[in-house]
Amino acid sequence: MLIEKFFDHISNWKMAWFGLIFLGSIINAVLQKSSLVGDSPYVSVFAFGAGALIGLVAKIRGAWL
Amino acid sequence: MRESSEILAEFSFEKEKAIAKSFSQRFQWEMILIGLGQASIWLSLWPLVLNGILDLWMGFLIASLCACFAYLPSHEAQHGNYSRGNPKLRWLDGFVGHISLITLMYSYHILRVTHMKHHAYTNDPVKDPDYLNAHAKSVFHVIKNSSDGSSTDFGKYLEVFSSDKAFVNSFEKAIPIALLYRFILLVLVVIFPLETLLLWWLPAKIGTVYTTVFFSYYPHLGTSTGRYKDTRFWSHWIPRFLNHSMQLHFIHHLHPSIGHYDEPKAIEALKPFLVARKVPGADQIPEHITFNPLIRI
Repeated sequence: MLIEKFFDHISNWKMAWFGLIFLGSIINAVLQKSSLVGDSPYVSVFAFGAGALIGLVAKIRGAWL
Repeated sequence: MRESSEILAEFSFEKEKAIAKSFSQRFQWEMILIGLGQASIWLSLWPLVLNGILDLWMGFLIASLCACFAYLPSHEAQHGNYSRGNPKLRWLDGFVGHISLITLMYSYHILRVTHMKHHAYTNDPVKDPDYLNAHAKSVFHVIKNSSDGSSTDFGKYLEVFSSDKAFVNSFEKAIPIALLYRFILLVLVVIFPLETLLLWWLPAKIGTVYTTVFFSYYPHLGTSTGRYKDTRFWSHWIPRFLNHSMQLHFIHHLHPSIGHYDEPKAIEALKPFLVARKVPGADQIPEHITFNPLIRI
């Protein structure tokens, strides 16, 4: 039952999670290397927030592109 | 009607099959080498890049090449072309099939069952899992669909083939592997973000786009349904050695047990049959295929 709920959640929210974790990590790594914003304490918040937002938009649209 | 019967007698399916069978015996060692070789090279890129021995961008280039070589060895496995019906060698099909696809991040089980359905129902808008690719409006749409994953969203075919137990079983076997790939990817991206992007995710996308464009789109472009009508002979400005000779994909649909590297010779031998059966583009097949790049500008 719990496993079924877990898989249902993954199935419904996979794009949002992928955006948060995958895209967030990539954006964060790229911004950390930037000399302009790399030192800002809010870089990670912005990066993971942007990743989550992209994933959420993809979930709502039902497609990445 | 009489003429048609004469053609059928001279170019009977039995005769065609006998010739095709003579090209379906050889052990496909090249494909095993390519499949396991590209996976080994791809895997070795990780320690090389992470230890600073190889530049990340060079790693990206090599990983993308590996990804473009990843599908075909698995495809031979999907057709059982390594074991060739020998139960003692069946493990080899699964082994090469699974290992080769690591670079592309796909489960062998899912690609095998959906590919079998593609062969059984080629160009059927409901039952062919490759239909969306083969009948896309343009190459751009194929690239878009395969990039965002919509052309390999096989979930909907679980409903179409829900009464096919073998299909459902294989599909269920594929789910844990697909989830494992996602899990590993998400763990790796947290620890090594740019390396994961450039050594795995992006190369896998490039490999998928390459495979979809040349294996699904061009060979079936403008074709209909029916054994001799669903795949065509085509040519392109790209030499066939750079697109895995997919100009010759039609012979694979007619006789999937012919090994990939034996297809040119098989086509030379079978050309009269293909012309008589009016395979799309068959009249343009040159007399000699072997070593012919089949370029058309």
